[in-house]
Amino acid sequence: MLRAIFYKEWLKLRLFWCLAFVIHIGLIAYLLLALRSTLLATGVVETWATMIGRDVLMVNALMYIPLITGVCIALCQWLPEMQVKRIRLTLHLPIDYTMSIGAMLFCSLLCLCGLFALDAAVLAIVEQIWLPRELVWRTFLTCLPWYIGGLLGYSVSSWCLLEPQWKIRCVDFLIGAPIVALCFLTAQPACNIAMWPWLILAIPATMCLPFYSVYRFKLGKQ
Amino acid sequence: MMKIFQIYNFKFIICFLALIVLAWVLPSLYELVSPRTDKTPFVVYSCLDSTFIKMEVQDKQVHYTDFRGQEWSKSEADSLLPLFSFRQLVAEGRLPDSLYGVALNPKLIQQNAFHFKTSPKQLNKPAVGLYTMLESASGRVDLQLPPDVFRLTKDGLEFIDCETNKVNKAKSLSFSRELTKHGFAFPVQLIWGNGTTRKDYDNGFLLTDSNNRLFQLKMVKGTPWVREITNEKLKIKNYIQVFTLEPANRKLIGLVVDDAYQLYAVRCTGELAHIGIDAYDPQTMQITITGDLFHWTITEYTATDSRYYAVDANTFEQVACAIVPDPERPIAQKIERIILPVRLRFTSWRTQEIIPTINDD
Repeated sequence: MLRAIFYKEWLKLRLFWCLAFVIHIGLIAYLLLALRSTLLATGVVETWATMIGRDVLMVNALMYIPLITGVCIALCQWLPEMQVKRIRLTLHLPIDYTMSIGAMLFCSLLCLCGLFALDAAVLAIVEQIWLPRELVWRTFLTCLPWYIGGLLGYSVSSWCLLEPQWKIRCVDFLIGAPIVALCFLTAQPACNIAMWPWLILAIPATMCLPFYSVYRFKLGKQ
Repeated sequence: MMKIFQIYNFKFIICFLALIVLAWVLPSLYELVSPRTDKTPFVVYSCLDSTFIKMEVQDKQVHYTDFRGQEWSKSEADSLLPLFSFRQLVAEGRLPDSLYGVALNPKLIQQNAFHFKTSPKQLNKPAVGLYTMLESASGRVDLQLPPDVFRLTKDGLEFIDCETNKVNKAKSLSFSRELTKHGFAFPVQLIWGNGTTRKDYDNGFLLTDSNNRLFQLKMVKGTPWVREITNEKLKIKNYIQVFTLEPANRKLIGLVVDDAYQLYAVRCTGELAHIGIDAYDPQTMQITITGDLFHWTITEYTATDSRYYAVDANTFEQVACAIVPDPERPIAQKIERIILPVRLRFTSWRTQEIIPTINDD
């Protein structure tokens, strides 16, 4: 049954995932080309000196992309389910709703993690050709909260979208949006490290919440 | 149904998240509605009147007063601060010919003008871990960026060539050996250098070793130059902060702070001199030094007061001191403390890092 759910999710979201993959790889390629162009045009010594002295990493264009991806996947995944109440079919499957909804959430979360890991890996592997390991590591430390923001964006959006009542949906958004905003409090390189444990804890905490929305849907709240 | 998916668990998580959000968002909104308008005056010591002159902007006009309450006009303040306002006095033909037996001229005054400012927020940020060693004696007026940067390892310095992104082993070995030859015990504990080329000359780096000894390291004609900064008379145990400086008069190499929160100047001769102020904790105090030919005005902003010191520019002995407690908290802030007893913040005046703190105003 779970395999069938995964297959259904793949059929539903494959176009979106392909698009997200192309956009992410395209953006990473753009960032790397922009860095290479700066290194060639300004000079390696001057670029390194700017990156070290002024604490500039040239990855700020990436900041909100994981969040946008997370929110978009939640929209593509849950909006059709909620609009025509197709989610009822899922809830009538002969397995517990926590298993079926959990499989759907897990599926997307895994794909998001894979996409973000691919981003970070490509960025790090290519950057280490031109930059010392300290700057590559610093880039990773700076980007990680943005990727966590993408995962939180997905879980909070899923929570809001699965909620059957509009007024409760608004309350959910008012609670969820500031939690996501915690990942974007600063663009200063590597200044969000102390928040990591809290942000990572927030992922399982917010991933539980879509189940509550589905539970309320099952109760017949409209 | 699995136990963790029981309904009260969901409600608990939602309530917990809602409380966190409220504890953070409400104080931030309150601060937006009632912004804090803390204006700190600029203070300079007047060697002519032996007092501190405050410059404060009130009603879009600069007011000059001293701590005794005496008000001065702009022109009077210029006369009282001849070394601070020398350009205005030169323009008006009012610059004294000499002061304390020293013949004054604009070049001399400018050369001895010195400014230094740092705050906990500037110091408390994750370090990049890469440093630029400029050539200190290139024979050229303008400083040039070197073709490499260096990192600190547990047993030396490691220079990385920018073009190839590879370690320059010969240079790394040469610098590490020179330091070891002078008794430096790796790894480096504290290090400070100004990697910018926008300065008149280069004093290299001040660094401490694992035995808490202070050294100066710079590159002279491509080779390492090391000197230990001695402190036999002062009996300093541990350094907690070092700053390398390049003042125009070339009399100083830097400033250091020890674990007793005493501030010392590192003279160009390689000697340490105690600066006559009570205490300076770089982690909690903002410091501003405005120096001239005869005196330094040192201002420390602490969490509870502002401390003003005047020290002799040559001996660093205290000449005058004034401690001004911070004004009482505004009523809006008092109300905030009552209606919002738990205030969660993620940004702070102490650090650039995002750290959750509760009731840290």
